[in-house]
Amino acid sequence: MKRLLRHSLFLASMGVVGAVHAHHSGAMFDDTKVIELTGVVKEFQYTNPHSWLLVDITNSDGSVTTWGFEAEGPSTLMRAGIRKGDLPPGTPITIRGNPMKDGRSGSAWIDAVVNGKTINPRNGFAVIPAAE
Amino acid sequence: MTELKAAARLSLFGILLVAADALTAQEDWLAKDANWNEHKTRLQAFGERFENAWELYTYLQETANGGNALTWEDMPKPAYDWSGVYTRTGGGLSFDPDIRANETTAKLTEAGASARQRKIDLITSTGGEYDPLSDCRPPSFPRWATEPFLHEFVVTPNQTWLMNEMVNDVRRVYTDGRAHTLPEDAYASANGDTIGFWTDGMLVTHTTYLISGQYQRGTQPDYSDRVDVVERWKKVDGNTLEADYWVFDPVNLSEPWYTRQSWTQLANDDDLLRLRYWDCRENQNNDILEKNDGTSQFSDFDFIENDAAVSTDEDVKQAAE
Repeated sequence: MKRLLRHSLFLASMGVVGAVHAHHSGAMFDDTKVIELTGVVKEFQYTNPHSWLLVDITNSDGSVTTWGFEAEGPSTLMRAGIRKGDLPPGTPITIRGNPMKDGRSGSAWIDAVVNGKTINPRNGFAVIPAAE
Repeated sequence: MTELKAAARLSLFGILLVAADALTAQEDWLAKDANWNEHKTRLQAFGERFENAWELYTYLQETANGGNALTWEDMPKPAYDWSGVYTRTGGGLSFDPDIRANETTAKLTEAGASARQRKIDLITSTGGEYDPLSDCRPPSFPRWATEPFLHEFVVTPNQTWLMNEMVNDVRRVYTDGRAHTLPEDAYASANGDTIGFWTDGMLVTHTTYLISGQYQRGTQPDYSDRVDVVERWKKVDGNTLEADYWVFDPVNLSEPWYTRQSWTQLANDDDLLRLRYWDCRENQNNDILEKNDGTSQFSDFDFIENDAAVSTDEDVKQAAE
């Protein structure tokens, strides 16, 4: 709880409401909309400057659409407690994001629920100091 | 009458003492404590005493009697042990960490204010911009100070390396007494040319030969290729590095811009945190195109078979042709 509180306080002090995009502006995402999808992990591309979590979503007609959710790179995800090995292919996931404005199945990753646990990539910007 | 004269002399002596103390104190390291607003005002005023960054740097060097050379025996001392993984302490992406990123404390020239207004107008009308970082060009200095990812710092007797995970960016500070690159050999680059000296556990630097850029994405000001910077780095406690920044830019700034930058050593008990290679080409999904309206867009996702057929964005369709 203390750690979560520190995260919240830090994010508030940083003025971080939306994502901090490492190498581009957020112009392509619609931050007025939030989508929530449930599917399975197809691939976790754990890369700089951005990581991409690919999630297969089964549509009502039985077809499958792959959605890409963008987060920060590995060091920020590590700080958020999200490791590549946590999300192997086939992992069931419910995930939220701000969708692309242009209709493609891409999104800025907000948070997700995996095995009953909520994970939030943006928590990786919290500054947890080393012990002196 | 004699008593009155004596009292006047005493008063004058007192005023001189206070004035001398104030001048000296302006040059001292001032803590970011409860009196920070007052301290910051004094450090800003101190910078304004100088016409340019080089004049400030040489003044600091002269008052430090040239500084003191370090040896390898000094390296384990707390002042010089900058080991560990750091990140920016706070302030988001604002060059002045004391204010929000959509504000500025810079004293801008007319040209500087106009340039900032153009950025504000673009973002108001389009919702974003294209950032040169998008193809992994370096943020350049002094924007370097605002990047929020991991950093490592290495002090050696003759050089200090200031490393930013973003685009594998390393600033080298030469503290072996060498001069700047000679003007006839110099050219502008993202991090320029930095020399420095040590005094009382502080690293004082001067950086010049820089390219133009912006202090940060969004509505923060621009700097020109005539920008140069004096920094004064200090390890203020076991896990915090701070640095005074005086930025001089005759094109965009009417006065030097003083800010206090800070980096915190992160907890890393499991040793999982480390700086990782940063290359936009490692993942196709990070390929960004510059749109005709001056904003940015993903060009071609690897998880979509035909982006141009799905996207409503004419720039995406055009890029696919």
